Amino acid sequence: MIYTNHKIEFDPDKCVGCQLCYKACFVDVIRWNYEAKKPIFKYVEDCEHCFYCQSVCKRDAIKVLPDPSSERLHQHFERYE
Amino acid sequence: MDLNKKNLSCDLLIAGGGIGGLVAAVEAKENNPDLDVLIVEKQFTGYGGKANKGGGVLQYFQLDKITPMDFLKFHVNEIGGYLGDQELMLKYVEMNHELLQKMDAWGIVMPRNEEGNYFMMPTGPFTCMISVDLDLCLKMRRVAEKLGVRIIDKVTVTDFVVKDNTICGAFAYSILEEDNTFYTISAKQVVIATGSQNYRVGAMWSSGRGDGIAAAYRAGVEMRNPEFGNFSQLIRVGSHGEVVFGENFMYNAKNEHVTENFTDHRQTDICSLAIREWYVNMVNGTGPIHLDYGPDKRDVKAVNQDWQRPYGQRFRECRQEFTNQFDNDLEVVPLLIGEQSCIKVDHDMATSVKGLYAIGDASYCGSCAPGAVPAPPARNRGSGILNAVFAGVLCGRAAAAAETVAPAEITEAETDACIEKTYAPLYKEEGHNAKEVIELIQQAMCPSEYSVYMKADRMDEAEKLVKQAKELAADLKAVDLHDLLACHEAEAMVLSAEMHFFASRARKESRGWFLREDYPEMDNENWLKWIILKNVDGEMTLSTEDVPIEKYPIQLPKKD
Ligand SMILES: Cc1cc2nc3c(=O)[nH]c(=O)nc-3n(C[C@H](O)[C@H](O)[C@H](O)COP(=O)(O)OP(=O)(O)OC[C@H]3O[C@@H](n4cnc5c(N)ncnc54)[C@H](O)[C@@H]3O)c2cc1C
Ligand code: SF4
Ligand code: SF4
Repeated sequence: MIYTNHKIEFDPDKCVGCQLCYKACFVDVIRWNYEAKKPIFKYVEDCEHCFYCQSVCKRDAIKVLPDPSSERLHQHFERYE
Repeated sequence: MDLNKKNLSCDLLIAGGGIGGLVAAVEAKENNPDLDVLIVEKQFTGYGGKANKGGGVLQYFQLDKITPMDFLKFHVNEIGGYLGDQELMLKYVEMNHELLQKMDAWGIVMPRNEEGNYFMMPTGPFTCMISVDLDLCLKMRRVAEKLGVRIIDKVTVTDFVVKDNTICGAFAYSILEEDNTFYTISAKQVVIATGSQNYRVGAMWSSGRGDGIAAAYRAGVEMRNPEFGNFSQLIRVGSHGEVVFGENFMYNAKNEHVTENFTDHRQTDICSLAIREWYVNMVNGTGPIHLDYGPDKRDVKAVNQDWQRPYGQRFRECRQEFTNQFDNDLEVVPLLIGEQSCIKVDHDMATSVKGLYAIGDASYCGSCAPGAVPAPPARNRGSGILNAVFAGVLCGRAAAAAETVAPAEITEAETDACIEKTYAPLYKEEGHNAKEVIELIQQAMCPSEYSVYMKADRMDEAEKLVKQAKELAADLKAVDLHDLLACHEAEAMVLSAEMHFFASRARKESRGWFLREDYPEMDNENWLKWIILKNVDGEMTLSTEDVPIEKYPIQLPKKD
């Protein structure tokens, strides 16, 4: 989807820099900060709330907060009324 | 930002490191260890693609109880609408246990009971499903690396280089600013394993952006069955999570069971008639549609009961928690999934260009195996992963055995021209955003009455939107490499939508999944044909191939 409003909560204190979340994102939302050894949630507007980053993180450092109401289905509901 | 240029060469280049690409790489290496195999993956090999995103179920045929011909007969008559390549489908069923044994040997986890048999669940009159843990691609990556397959991640293949209708390699670019490399890859053979076109609509399908299909089209590769790229799935209105088995339980606002008895067998995967029912009820004022599973809820509960899949467990729990939070009622709507998979291939998964193969979700409908139905899952639950494995095995074997010569050289000038074209949106002062284009394409493809239950005047409306999108796509601006990739994907979405409507207009009939309100009958006299699209000097041309039904075991029903 595009133009969505999903959010991601990240706790850098819990993160141990294993890179798994960075690798797990299938649509390039997450990039890697090589200096800080932490993920950067750079393109959150493109997040598809697949939950992979959250589920691979062994430190519980990531929480995905989806907002499905921001996803448009493009059906013509207005025409059916 | 300085661009690095790198030249690479290999015997076998695989574009896309999903399950299909990984299997092709491993099979090719196992059959010919001397082969220099390189996987180039847009995201991360092992995590990218779709095989780890979903149900984790595999189609299983109890070949001690049914014959492949039993299934073929059922499939051709009830799902494929006589439009399938019956020989290829038969081969897929016959190889079912061989493919599972291979996956087992590669270390993929498929849970079994204490007697050592797979946990099985029936999914139709002739099929079952078994389960697979979701680290299957990670397992395959390890096997591939052990065999010496080279892997480059976060690099996207942008164009295939074809000379004299023979492949000579591909161009690719890194999507990471810290790398910023453009690759010219010379290869004796190339496999397209880049998945299907899903138009960035369904969340879990979002990696299917059709750019591999578009690159093949630009290179002059023939496309087949592009009109079967309009799969839709019921989703819950709260979470937008997809509903499996839902079509059997659809009720309208008057509490009428709108899908009662409209298929002969209760089936696991939605049929386009159910999408049509949703639309017809909505326009007639008897919507919305909700599900009512009845008191026993057996179809819902049966899934996942015994299946132990340790890796996928956490993922499943996260998703469950999310859907529980948002799904307060049982209202459903159709969501476009797409799944255009139209690269034309033969029984070795070879395309119309010599040395170029296409496998898995890139060529499922192009192979004709599934017939008149978008694939995967082709109303054949658990066939997506297994088809990718099947196609990967056939292609890997063929590539390992092929006699090859050094590919024609890719010149500096050709590389420079591709660099200029590829990065052009980055150097524009002004231009349109990729998402403006994608938005228009979604508006054209998503409404069920545009792409699933079709009619000429409604297709006019949709094609107007595609035309607008195409105009914007000619003038795109990108702010960084992530955005540049979105521009190229948006262009691919325009092409896919164009192909969909061009072929759908031509097919003046209804067959299998393909439904036209203005041509409601199956027309075997005129349309027992596959539609072929090809780029000839920038023009999209359409031709047809007769389905060679006379040589197939299952014939058309006799006329009364
Ligand atoms: C939610 C969901 C549930 C599913 N459930 C099941 C199921 O239970 N059972 C089943 O059998 N099937 C299921 N499927 C379908 C199945 O996952 C797919 O059919 C299968 O994974 C296809 O494999 P593939 O390798 O052909 O393509 P993909 O898995 O799509 O892999 C393609 C790869 O190519 C990469 N790529 C794309 N473009 C480029 C490019 N230009 N350059 C380089 N790399 C590129 C992608 O990043 C990706 O890694 C499901 C799919 C989804 C989305
Ligand atoms: S997976 Fe968790 S611990 Fe690992 S890098 Fe990501 S946030 Fe940090
Ligand atoms: S939820 Fe999925 S899409 Fe979103 S950032 Fe995490 S891995 Fe990427």
